[in-house]
Parts: sequence; C-alpha cells; structure tokens
Amino acid sequence: MKIVVCVKQVGALGDEVEFTEDERDVDPDYLDHALNEWDSYATEEALRVRDAAGDGEVVVVSAGDEDAEDAMRRALAMGADRGVRVWSQELAGADPITMARALAEVVRGESPDLVLCGVQSSDAVQAATGTALAELLGLPRVAVVTKLELGDGTATVHRELEGGLVDVVEVDTPCLLTIQTGINEPRYATLRAIKQAEQKEVEVREAGELGAPAARVRNMFVPPKGEGAEMIGGSSAEIARRIKEIVDERTAG
Amino acid sequence: MPVLLGAEETRETFAGLETWQIVLWYCLIGVSVAIFALGVTRLVLKYRRGRTRTPIGSPRERALRTARIVATHAWIRRRDPFSGLAHLLVFYGFLVLFTGTAILAFQDDFAEPVLGFDFWKGWFYLGYSLFLDVFGFALVVGLVVFAVKRGLLRPFRLSYWRPIEPAPPLAREAKVYRVGDWVFLGSLFFLALTGFLLESFRIAADDPDFEVWAPFGWLVGQAFIGLGFEGAAAESARATIWWVHGVFALFWVSSIPFTKAVHMLTAPAGVAVKDERAGSTLLPLPPDAKPEEVGYATIDALAPKHLLNLDACTKCGKCHAACPATASGYPLSPRDLVLDLREVAEGALGNRAALGIPPRFPEHADILGTIRPETLWSCMQCMACVEICPVGIEHVPIINQMRRALVERGEMDGQLQQTLETIHTSGNSFGEAKRKRARWAKELDFEVKDIRKERAELLWFVGDYASFDPRNQKVTQALARILRSAGVDFGILYDGERTAGNDVRRAGEEGLWSSLAEENIETISGCRFDRILTTDPHTFNTLKNEYPQLGGSWTVLHHSQLLLELLESGRLAPRKGLGYRVTYHDPCTLGRYNGVYEEPRQVLAAAGCELVEMPRNRDNSFCCGAGGGRIWMKELRAEDAQRPSESRIDEAVGLGAIDYFVVTCPKDVTMYEDAIKTSGHQDEIELREMSELLLESLALDP
Repeated sequence: MKIVVCVKQVGALGDEVEFTEDERDVDPDYLDHALNEWDSYATEEALRVRDAAGDGEVVVVSAGDEDAEDAMRRALAMGADRGVRVWSQELAGADPITMARALAEVVRGESPDLVLCGVQSSDAVQAATGTALAELLGLPRVAVVTKLELGDGTATVHRELEGGLVDVVEVDTPCLLTIQTGINEPRYATLRAIKQAEQKEVEVREAGELGAPAARVRNMFVPPKGEGAEMIGGSSAEIARRIKEIVDERTAG
Repeated sequence: MPVLLGAEETRETFAGLETWQIVLWYCLIGVSVAIFALGVTRLVLKYRRGRTRTPIGSPRERALRTARIVATHAWIRRRDPFSGLAHLLVFYGFLVLFTGTAILAFQDDFAEPVLGFDFWKGWFYLGYSLFLDVFGFALVVGLVVFAVKRGLLRPFRLSYWRPIEPAPPLAREAKVYRVGDWVFLGSLFFLALTGFLLESFRIAADDPDFEVWAPFGWLVGQAFIGLGFEGAAAESARATIWWVHGVFALFWVSSIPFTKAVHMLTAPAGVAVKDERAGSTLLPLPPDAKPEEVGYATIDALAPKHLLNLDACTKCGKCHAACPATASGYPLSPRDLVLDLREVAEGALGNRAALGIPPRFPEHADILGTIRPETLWSCMQCMACVEICPVGIEHVPIINQMRRALVERGEMDGQLQQTLETIHTSGNSFGEAKRKRARWAKELDFEVKDIRKERAELLWFVGDYASFDPRNQKVTQALARILRSAGVDFGILYDGERTAGNDVRRAGEEGLWSSLAEENIETISGCRFDRILTTDPHTFNTLKNEYPQLGGSWTVLHHSQLLLELLESGRLAPRKGLGYRVTYHDPCTLGRYNGVYEEPRQVLAAAGCELVEMPRNRDNSFCCGAGGGRIWMKELRAEDAQRPSESRIDEAVGLGAIDYFVVTCPKDVTMYEDAIKTSGHQDEIELREMSELLLESLALDP
C-alpha cells in the first residue's frame, strides 16, 4: 500500500497585514508558517491506512521552496516515510492548476495506490489543487471526504454535503481524495520527532514544463470598510457604553 | 535498701538452656539473617533493573545530610510534630534495643571467648539495663500513640480514600493496607511486650536487688512477686517466653525486607538519594533516545532511585493532604500513584517476577496502560508532595517522566496539543504575533532599550503572560516605572523573546523546551548585560536552573529580589506608608522550587503593608492550579469540587478584613483575578501584584 499525501506550507496571518510593493501578495514579514491544517488531517488518514494495512509507505509531496520543508518535516515527524519536494522559480505565487501540474509529474512517478490531499489550503482557499491533480493523473476523485474505508479495489467514502447531509460514495482505487478536517484527530508531532525527521529522506526535484499559467494575481488589498460598520474603539468600559447606546437607539420606538 | 554498685552484677545470657538448644538458637539466627540478606539482595537487584541514570553528587555530603535528617527526624516532624515525636520514640527505642542486643552478641560471641574480655557486668551491666529498659518503654509509648492516632483519631491523611474512581485494577484495596499497618504496629508491640515480660519473669524468679536499675521491668516483676508469681513458676514462664520473644524477634528481622518494615531500610536510602534540585532542574533526555525510550512508559524505564522511592512510601499521606489536585477532586493522589506504581514494580520486577510467577495483571510492566492519563495530567508540578515527603520520594519528576512518554505517544489533552503547536509556530502561548510582544512598553512615557542593540545593566526577560495579558501588562508597566525611577538601566528583547518553556518542559514536551531554550540562549548570548531580570517565577526557574544544561548560564533575578536590593541600597525610597492589611501567596516555582520566601515579604513591609499570613504559607503554599501546563488543559476536577485558586481565596478571605491578596507571579494574577470573581468575593478582597503596591508607596511625581 503506497499512499501519496500532497501537503502545503501555508502562511498564517496575525491581525495586522502589509502587502508587498507590487501589491500582489502579503508581505512575508507578516506571516507565520505552518503545515496546512487540512493536510495534517490527510497525513493522519494516510498513516492510519498504512498502519491498518500492516505495511506500505506514506510519501509526502509538496510544491514549494526550501522553507516549505518545515511543513514536510512535520508530516514526516508524524510518521510519513519520505518526502519529495518539487520546485522551480515559476511556481512562486502560481495558481492551483500550475501547482497541480508540478505535483502530477512527481505523483505519477510514484504510482501510488491512493492519493490524499487536503480539501483546501487555509491561506489561498481555492480548493482546486487536489481536484486538478486528479484530472491530470486521470484518477477518479472524491472531494470533502469525512470518512474512508478501503475495500478490495474500491474505497467507500463519506462526503460532507451542505446542511449536515452525508453522501456515501464507492470509488475505484487508485483514486484521489480531498480530506476534510475532523475526519480524525491528527497526532502530535513532538519537537524531538521533528528534529529526528531531519534524518528522513526528502528528495528535491526541479519542476518540468509547467505550461501557461491558468490565472494570475493582479492585486491584493484590504477591502474598504462597509458604510454600515462602525468600529468602536477605547477601553472595555467605553466600548460597552457605546454598544449599549447603539442597542438603545435601535430598540427605541 | 541501699543498692551498691558491685563488680559482679550481671546475668547469664543462655540461662537454663541445654547445649543443643543453644546450637538450635544459633542456627535460627543463621536462617533469619539469610532470609533478611536474601530479601535485601532481591530489592537491590530490583532497583538495579531501572534504566534511567540520575546524577549522584558528592557521597560524603549526602551521607552527612542523611545522618542529620534521620537522627533528628527533621523531615518526619514537619507539619505534624506530635507524630514526629512518637516516631522518634519508636525509632530510638528500636535502635537502642537492637544495638543492645548487638552489644550482647559481641560480648558473648567475640569479646569474651576470643579476647577474654568480659565487660557485660558491674556498672556497665547496670547502665545497660537502665538504658534498654527506658528506651524499651519509649518504644511502647510511641506505638501506643500511633495506635491511638490510627484507631481513634483517624486523620484524613491516614484514610485510604482515593480520589480516583474506579481505582486501577491492580490497586490494593484499603483493607489490605489497613491490615498491613496494624500487623506492623502489632508485631512491634508484641516484640516489646514479650521483651518486658521476659525481663519481669526473670526478676520475679530471682529478685536480685540490683535489677532496680531496670525500673519498668523491676516494677512489673515486683507486681508478679506481690501476686505470688515467683520462684520456679516464674522461672518456667521465663524459659517459655525466652523462646517466644527470641524466635519472634528473629522472624521479625527476617521479614523486614518483605513488609512495611522495609521502610527502615528504604526510607533512609530514599533520603540519601533525594536530589534537592530534581523538581526545579529536570533531567534532559538522552540525545539518542528511541521513541520507546522517551520518559517512563514502562516500569523498567524508571531510575533506580525512583524504584527505591516506591518501596520507601509508608503511606503517611502527607503528600495526599498537601496535593492541590487531590484537594480539588482531580483524579490524582500522589500517594496512590506511588502505591499503584509499587504494585506495577512488584509485579514486573519484584519477587514474583524473580520466581517466574506471572504478574497479577498482564499489563503490569506497561505503566501508561495502568495509570490513567488524566491522573498524570492532573498534576500541577507544584512540588507540594516532594516538599513534605518524609522519605524523599520524587513524585513530581516521576510524573514528569511519565508525561514525556505520553507526549511521545501523542496522548494528550487536545487543548494542550493545540497550545504546544501554537508555541511552536508563534513562539508564545497566546498565539500572538511576535511584534506585539513589547506593545506594553509603548504606553510608557519613556523609551525602553532594545537590549539586542545596546548594552544595559539588566536584561528583562518579560515572559508571555506579563507581555500579552492585559491585566498583567499593567503590572509590567508598574515595574518599568519603578525601575525607571530608581535609575536602573534595563532593556528588553522585543520581538526576539520566545516562551522560556518552563511549563512546556513540565508538560513533558522536552523537545519543544530545548528548541525554545536554544533559540533564547542564542538571542541572549548576542546581548550585553550583567544580569537577567524576570517577574515570572516559571521563567525565572527555567532560565536560572535549566538553561545552564544547554549552555546558557547567567545570574537570574526575580523582581522581588531586585526590588529588595534597590530598597536596601536606598535607590528606592517609599514616601507613603500604605497601611494596607495584605496577605501574600507564595508562587510554587518561586518558593518551593527556588526557596525565595522572604524577599517579597520584605518588599511589602517596606511599602508599609501589614502582612497577615494564610495558614498555608511558604513551603506549604497551596498551588493556584495553573502550574505544570495545567493552565493550558481542560478542567479535570470533580464537578462539585472547588478550584484550587478558589479554595485559596476562601483561605485569604477567612483571615478577615484583608485589603489585598498579593501575588508575585503573572499566572497568579490571571488565576486569582478569576478566582476572586468566581468564588464571589469581589466585594471582600482585591488582587494586587507586589510591584503595584510598591509603586503606590513610592508616590512618584507625575
């Protein structure tokens, strides 16, 4: 049983943000970096599948620069067996389709029995890379998976729908699943394990021909505050007083 | 009737015994000693199976310290002087009687036959009789006190009430322990009683005048004579009781390594191996440890001294009575933990294991399968148990090691896991952006130095709570104003500071602690300063005691120490006596961990506050409930129980008319601000950090 998990190192914003000079991205100084939350669930699910099968391999694949290896180390520290990082300068700020092209090359070479991705990344929130990757690999895919049971040549999965509905799908394997948070409880990777994961192999590959980008970011900005909103400043007491005034105003008459 | 000191007062050791009986007696001694030696050997072998290595220190110093503590009963007498005195009577009673017997054996079996030196007569014999008689009586008095305490007074700490329901399957029932306790007391009493009877029958048989030097035996002997029980009848009773007393004594000695009496050996040994710094300075993990070798997951992972600790416990319950988790209905009692681990150790490494008998419970060696994780997560690492344990048990480091194993297996509270991940990514437990760390300093009317850029006298390591928590920021600002007014040259690390990691380490995440410590050490090493200052006792502890393990050795001060220094040197001069009635809560990591008790009190006195002590103060301070990473975990206490912090506020309010509850720890500020509200005492008491009161008393010009 060979499982490929595609992971991304995401940027996490605090409550302040500045943009780069060309206004196409967030100033990296304002970002903390972490393993994408959805991908930690995907990694955990892969580890559980491997451990239940008794043998096999979990390969972590990521498209990112050298810094992105921190996120891969975290997945490796959780228990993944090895990693492959693919990169070229053209991938900086690339769209999901281009990312999927870079990933596809690597994933295809692994001939996995199962490919797991997170539903989306917490920074870009496109929810497209996984699905695009399935298309490029020619694999059946199911999105937003909340439960996975592997059978012989098939997998039975639960898909989360709106309004709390669950769609149960049987899909042929190999397949690609995008994993939703809450499917499991990702294990804690101790710092010791993260340090020891530095011993695990991470192969670095240059991305091949990526084709024309499918989309480009033109501009990134903080939307202007709506007319209807009033930002209340001051001490807690002042804020409370103002809220009471507003409530009184609106409820009067 | 005048009693003259003669040269011939003595008695025959084996009076009335046939040769074969004497031979039999020596054979019995041999058997008894052999069983004793076997028991001790298998204990030593059991302890040697422990894998973790601990530092030893200077054996000479340890021996002297142990001798002093055992001789004076300094640890046993604490917080219960009455029981301490009773134990002192039993201890010296037993010791003198045992030594007396040894002297007699030396005289009979060596001095007299080999050297021809017969000293057991005359004045020596009379003094010997008096001495042994008096100490024998002391032994009986001590035993009676213990029996009254156990049987009639029945204090909470001697009940075997467990806060954990259900108890782990291998836990002994209270009944078993109670039987053991009474058998132990009863057997000693029987030993003393038969000894006195033996003496009295002998006196009743011969009635020699000089035996008045054994006053208690003589009195009873005279009573027998008065009742007409004397001469041959008394002599025949003496012969019988001689065998009863003798054989029972031999049996008793041989049983020492197998019963509660084992504490006669293991307790002094426990005192000897106790490391005073074991709680404040946790042991690093071996760098090459495999995952299964991290912490205490199985019983053989314990350090030999911790295996010894388990056998030293006498179930006195002092830890049980001092533990804030036990008191607040958390599923932990340090005593029960030790007793349950002892069962695990016995099953896996003890006699049964040595004889190849399968353990009572198959999971015996796996302590994490036996001790519930909630039990281990209940601990606040406050050191109250280690502080008061009379036999030197190191509960806190043991629990910490077991937590390390839990963390390694990823078995932890979800909230804790999230906090640890937050600390890893953001460098602080609040998940705040780095640049917000020094925001408190913006509200000051002066600039605070960036110590990374310019030299200062003091490097102020602010810590998470003092930096980010709004209530604590006021305290931090108050201290900054005080330092400014005293002309102290200080700087902070701004966004270069990371969580110091004290509680990360106490939660068992050793790797994260060392990664935080390495980063901080690198940052601090690049700065120029004389000393480090912090207001956070947790930070203070790890910087002062644990960073040296990774190469960061500096002089570290808690602000109470610095403020006292400034007051004493006249750099700070309070202008206004506050006249408040206050009480002071000793933070665990400042007091028990580091022995800083007096400085905050003296600062409060200098500010003109009248200090009223809570019943539980200094080394008996009661934890706020936040320590050991508990502040990051979900509630585990019983629903009907009070939080430790609330019980503490009740204690303070109970003193009557207290203006301020004073603390010197940022976590205490947070915990007790909450507790004052949740316990409904807002109108009766307010919280102040020591610096806030000192600032008020300085009455600085605006």
